[in-house]
Amino acid sequence: MLVLTRKITEGITIGPNIRVIVLEIKGGQVRLGIEAPHAVQVHRDEVYARILEENQQAARTDAVRLPPFTQLQDLVKKKA
Amino acid sequence: MIIHTTRFGDIECPEEKIVKIPSGIIGFPASTRYLILDHDRDVPFKWLQSLDQEELAFVIVDPVWFKPDYRVTIALDEIVELGPVDERELVMFVILTIPSDDPSCMTANLRGPVVVNAETRMAKQLILRDDFPTRAPVLHGVPARPVTVGHSISLVECHR
Repeated sequence: MLVLTRKITEGITIGPNIRVIVLEIKGGQVRLGIEAPHAVQVHRDEVYARILEENQQAARTDAVRLPPFTQLQDLVKKKA
Repeated sequence: MIIHTTRFGDIECPEEKIVKIPSGIIGFPASTRYLILDHDRDVPFKWLQSLDQEELAFVIVDPVWFKPDYRVTIALDEIVELGPVDERELVMFVILTIPSDDPSCMTANLRGPVVVNAETRMAKQLILRDDFPTRAPVLHGVPARPVTVGHSISLVECHR
C-alpha cells in the first residue's frame, strides 16, 4: 500500500481526474473532499461491504416456491 | 434463446426481455445480463435470474408493496449508464434475503435498490446515501391484497 502524509488543504491526485483533499482533522477523524467523474462511484468502505455481504446472502436463497399473496397472511400470523 | 439455470432448469428467454446491469449486482461483477421471471401474478416476488451464471438468482420485490412510504432520491449522475432517463420509465426493486429454514424471516435490502430504465432495460444497483437498512423485515406491514403502487423515485441533477 502506498502511504502518503498530507496536511489540511493538501490532497492527492489519482489518475487523470480524481482528487482527494484533506479538509479537516479533528479528534480521531479526518474529513475528505473527493472530486471524481460522475461515473466513478465513491462509497464508505463499510457501506459497500454491507451491501456486498447482503447480496451474497440473498444469492443463497433456495428455489423455494415463493409464497403467493394469499399465503403471506399466514406467514405473518405465524410470525406474530 | 434458451438459458440454463440451476434452480429452474432451461428457460426460454426472449432477447428483448434481457435486463442489462453493466456494473453488475455488487459482489457479482461477472453477471451483467439478467432475466426477470414474473410468470406468477399472484406472487408479489419475482426472480432475477442471471444469464451469465446459471446458479445466480435473486428474489426481488417492489419495495412499495411492503413499505409504501419508501422514497429514494437518485442523482442523474449516478445512473448515467442507464441511458437517457425519463423519470416515468424508471422502475425500482429491492433484493430479498429469504432464510430457507424460515421464509417468514425474510428481509429486504432497502439500502441497495436496483433501478431499471424500463425503456432501455438497463439497470443498476445503487448504494443510497440515506441510512436505509440492508435487512428490513418484510412481513410485518404486508397488506392483504396487492396495493396500487405509487412512484417512489425522485431524480435530482447531482448529489455533490
